[in-house]
Amino acid sequence: MTAAAVTSVVSPAACAPGTPLYGEVVEFLYREAELLDTYRFSEWLELFAADVRYDMPVRTNQFRAAGEGFQEMAFFDETFISLKTRVKRLETEFAWAETPPSRTRHFVSNVLVAPGERAGELAVRVNFMITRTRADHGYQMFTGRREDTLRRGDGGRFKIARRRILSDQTVLTNTNLSVLF
Amino acid sequence: MSLAATRSDAQNSFTRLANGEELATIVRPEEGLISRRIFADPEVHALELERIFARAWFFLGHESEIPNPGDAVTRVCGIDPVILVRDDDGVVHAFLNSCRHRGMRVCRTDRENLRFFRCPYHGWSYRNNGELLAASCENHYGEGELDKGKLGLIPVAQLGSYRGLYFATWDKNAPSLEEWLGDMRWYMDIIFARTGELEFVGVPQVWDAECSWKFATDNFTDNFHVFWSHQSLVQIGLLPDFPDFAAHGHMVTAGNGHILHFVQGAPGDETAMGLGLPKSMWPRFQQHLNPAQAEIAMNHGYSAGTMWPNFHWLQLTTAADIETTPMGILNLRLEYPLSPTRTRMYSWFAIDKAAPTDYRKASYENYVRNFGPGGIFDQDDMENWEECTATAIGPAAKRYTLHHRMGLNRKPDPSWKGPGIGYPDSYGEMTQRAWYGEWLRWMTKPLANGGAPR
Repeated sequence: MTAAAVTSVVSPAACAPGTPLYGEVVEFLYREAELLDTYRFSEWLELFAADVRYDMPVRTNQFRAAGEGFQEMAFFDETFISLKTRVKRLETEFAWAETPPSRTRHFVSNVLVAPGERAGELAVRVNFMITRTRADHGYQMFTGRREDTLRRGDGGRFKIARRRILSDQTVLTNTNLSVLF
Repeated sequence: MSLAATRSDAQNSFTRLANGEELATIVRPEEGLISRRIFADPEVHALELERIFARAWFFLGHESEIPNPGDAVTRVCGIDPVILVRDDDGVVHAFLNSCRHRGMRVCRTDRENLRFFRCPYHGWSYRNNGELLAASCENHYGEGELDKGKLGLIPVAQLGSYRGLYFATWDKNAPSLEEWLGDMRWYMDIIFARTGELEFVGVPQVWDAECSWKFATDNFTDNFHVFWSHQSLVQIGLLPDFPDFAAHGHMVTAGNGHILHFVQGAPGDETAMGLGLPKSMWPRFQQHLNPAQAEIAMNHGYSAGTMWPNFHWLQLTTAADIETTPMGILNLRLEYPLSPTRTRMYSWFAIDKAAPTDYRKASYENYVRNFGPGGIFDQDDMENWEECTATAIGPAAKRYTLHHRMGLNRKPDPSWKGPGIGYPDSYGEMTQRAWYGEWLRWMTKPLANGGAPR
């Protein structure tokens, strides 16, 4: 699958499981996870488009009829520059929440790829699970759904143009969100 | 510094821990020496629940969170679950979130708009003013077996509000909210009424950390941790590279354990003025505050205040990222213990209703990126609180004190224009000492007559 193929509208069939495009997206997600788990945050930042919005709304406990419970407030509401700010911070020796660093494992599954809203974009939904161990503490776990928009950047590589992180938790029981999603 | 476990003869067992130590011996605020024992010890925790959490005044929510009849949010008063609800007639109530029959939770979502609370267990239903409307199988109760008029939801003992903030206590003998807040109201005006009304935006962020609630409380009146705990932000240019940058200002003990800071920026830092609000809003200070209050609002960029024991404001001036200039944010915080070593935290973002739209958006972004569990400030605080708690668990550590002696001999500044005692310089531990002094007062005052210790 060439870069040209996704600058026009993609058919659902062209990004279904088993297609080259689907495989390319899955590999992109795995490589992204590997960057985070190996502390290569600057390289991770390069995966994002300059106009990215990256957010994680606060979720509340609601009856089903009221929807999923995502509210007007967020744990993250980021731009490329604010993500860069986070990465620069993590690269100092003084970001105590991650100094010494947590050990994380980013798992991505249930990958579904669909044509995006705009030509050349892909809408990618995944389930995520992130485990963290820190110092001598037990496991902490973050799970949820992630909704990404991918588009081709320079050289035909994917860029993340939008990321929405939909947590399963309403009360976060994991101390802080010093890990990246 | 080790502690003597003596001096028990003059004390009754009420003030003595099981190991023979007197609370007043291990907590000595006047010397700035606070035992590590009080932070993670199950016995002290159990005493705190009865002596503080069952009778002090606690923040529940802001009026802007429940603007319409039927609006409800679930919160805690102390550590007990409550519903803060505006009834059909617009009257605000706070009830124990528990059915009178078997105790099942009756409001099981975080925020609602409803006319009735219906218990899932047997279907007992309550109006949003707390009255029991219907029990279940009522025809099976005999004469006198079900007095519905006396089985409304359990209300808090007292509910009060000040500047839109609702507080409650489980103690009917507690002083009124007005009396309890006392001089603190003068300072709350500066934060909660400086330009008119505030709005608490959206919902609070809620999260748990494995720490003593008191390390959170201690930290919210600590200005001089900022330069080192948040050194990563100094390194990337978000905070001044100058250890004394937040030292210019005053610390105030306002009575009843209420404490606060008002901080100016580093000399020449013109961003740390007008509480970080846009200049277009500064004339409002004169309209909504008295001249002395307005002067304080005008001349300071930061403020941190604690309404004893566990509700805090953080009025800060920070930048949202490495390319944005600093501006104001108002963050409200609450923490309460889930156990001696586990704490639940609430963090709200508030904005002046009069704020321009672009400032509102920018201040929100600034808040989300810096505060709450994902905030690049808060993350590192949690790390400190958890590790301080972990090291306070062992029996050896519990023999030792922490150190809260900064400014022990500092004289008040007679030129400070607000009520209470104003101390020059906002690096010091006089506010923590006042907080622990109030803690000791509550922990050693018998419960016989209820009410706050006098």
